[in-house]
Amino acid sequence: MLGEAILHIRHAWTPRARAEIAYQMFFTGIRSLGVVTVVALFTGMILSLQTGLALRRYGQEVNIGGAVMVSMLREMGPFMTALILAASVGSSIAAQLGTMTVSEEVAALEIMAISPVRFLVMPRLVALAIMTPVLTFYGGMVGVLGGGIIGMTQLGVPLQAYIDNATRWADNKDLYVGLLKAFVFGIIVVTVACHQGFTTTEGAVGVGRATRQSVVISFLTILIVGYILTRMFYS
Amino acid sequence: MIRLEKVSKRLGGTLVLKAIDLHVKTGETLVIVGFSGAGKSVTIKHMIGMLTPDRGRVLIGDEVISETSGRALQRLRRRFGVLFQSAALLEWMSAAENVALPLREKTKMSEEEIAAAVHEKLAMVGLEEDDDKSPSELSGGMRKRVGLARAIVTNPEIILYDEPTSGLDPVTSRAIDALINRLREQLGVTSVVVTHDLMSALAIGSRIAMLHEGRIVELAEPQEFIRSQEPEVQRFLEAQYITKHGPWERTAR
Repeated sequence: MLGEAILHIRHAWTPRARAEIAYQMFFTGIRSLGVVTVVALFTGMILSLQTGLALRRYGQEVNIGGAVMVSMLREMGPFMTALILAASVGSSIAAQLGTMTVSEEVAALEIMAISPVRFLVMPRLVALAIMTPVLTFYGGMVGVLGGGIIGMTQLGVPLQAYIDNATRWADNKDLYVGLLKAFVFGIIVVTVACHQGFTTTEGAVGVGRATRQSVVISFLTILIVGYILTRMFYS
Repeated sequence: MIRLEKVSKRLGGTLVLKAIDLHVKTGETLVIVGFSGAGKSVTIKHMIGMLTPDRGRVLIGDEVISETSGRALQRLRRRFGVLFQSAALLEWMSAAENVALPLREKTKMSEEEIAAAVHEKLAMVGLEEDDDKSPSELSGGMRKRVGLARAIVTNPEIILYDEPTSGLDPVTSRAIDALINRLREQLGVTSVVVTHDLMSALAIGSRIAMLHEGRIVELAEPQEFIRSQEPEVQRFLEAQYITKHGPWERTAR
């Protein structure tokens, strides 16, 4: 299904596909912005506080900027965003496609010789492949900001020192690898969700099962693939 | 037009179709009736290539749809229009957008041409005033009619109806029957109808086939069908208060 959806990306410029991709990007990005902001802010604050308290024993709390920045870019940002999207957008996709499958809407598309993968999967794939890295970068920056707030208010680290430390420790590779992870995670979320939706049987019970399975499988796959990618780039 | 030759199909360990032979003639309306689980829907899914037989083959004209896949199958499917039991309308689109969908996706028609075709087909089913309503705003009968407009908008040669009157009140059911008859007269299409509703079958069928336990136990014109000596046919007729004494006579018991 993923391969077929990638092949159909050449149809992404038709007016209907453009409109659908734009809607899916809005649905994925804008609708998830609030929860990503809150989770990222508090993740950055917790990370900063815990790291800062540990480093304070050695008088090194000024280095929390680097620790928060690197953590958010490399690991926390992509994981956090992907898990939020799996739970919100992925479950929504699985439920929608599952309902369409059991109510014969997907079969109707096939009978009309309209590929359900081109019509339903491709726009969601493009939207998540774009929006997951965008949200990850945004979430990472919000997390760094949250860390800075804690640095200033709780640990006595001036904002300028925090920013200087953060930019000194992080390099471009951290950013690229984090965005690559987010891109892969986005594809995982949409692939798992669409597959679960299309294989739904047994009515409403089946839709519920597909939704739950979509979240569980996405979570596990993201964690495993995340580890493999980290090993590939940092071992 | 459609020919099933010795088609057998096993689903979930049960032999649903047992070497059935069935020929749907060009321009006729063949109605397939039978008890639940008799294999009616499985039969029409074979006709359109949604299921492939374990044995036997299915032909549309001279082409073997049961051995076709990919683009060739898509090309063959364009000869069909299908009205699903649930109408299968896309919920986020209006009635007009649902009807326009196959034209927008599969033809190079301009928006003006599409709008004209959609209006014409919605008018044929009596819904030209409801084109901007979403499926959730439509009644069961209206949804079926929109589904029917979508099925005929590409001017197919064959229309398959899966339980077109299920879940509808008797008046709306008879209106759907009249619509099916009118479409056959106006468009000259070949139709296959799967239904439990024997009153509907008698009203619209050129011939009626009864499926029972995976076999066709009767295939006859309506007047002959109600006089069938097959026990299963008689049981089916009696269950719907239709006797052999007259084509439309009903006796409540």
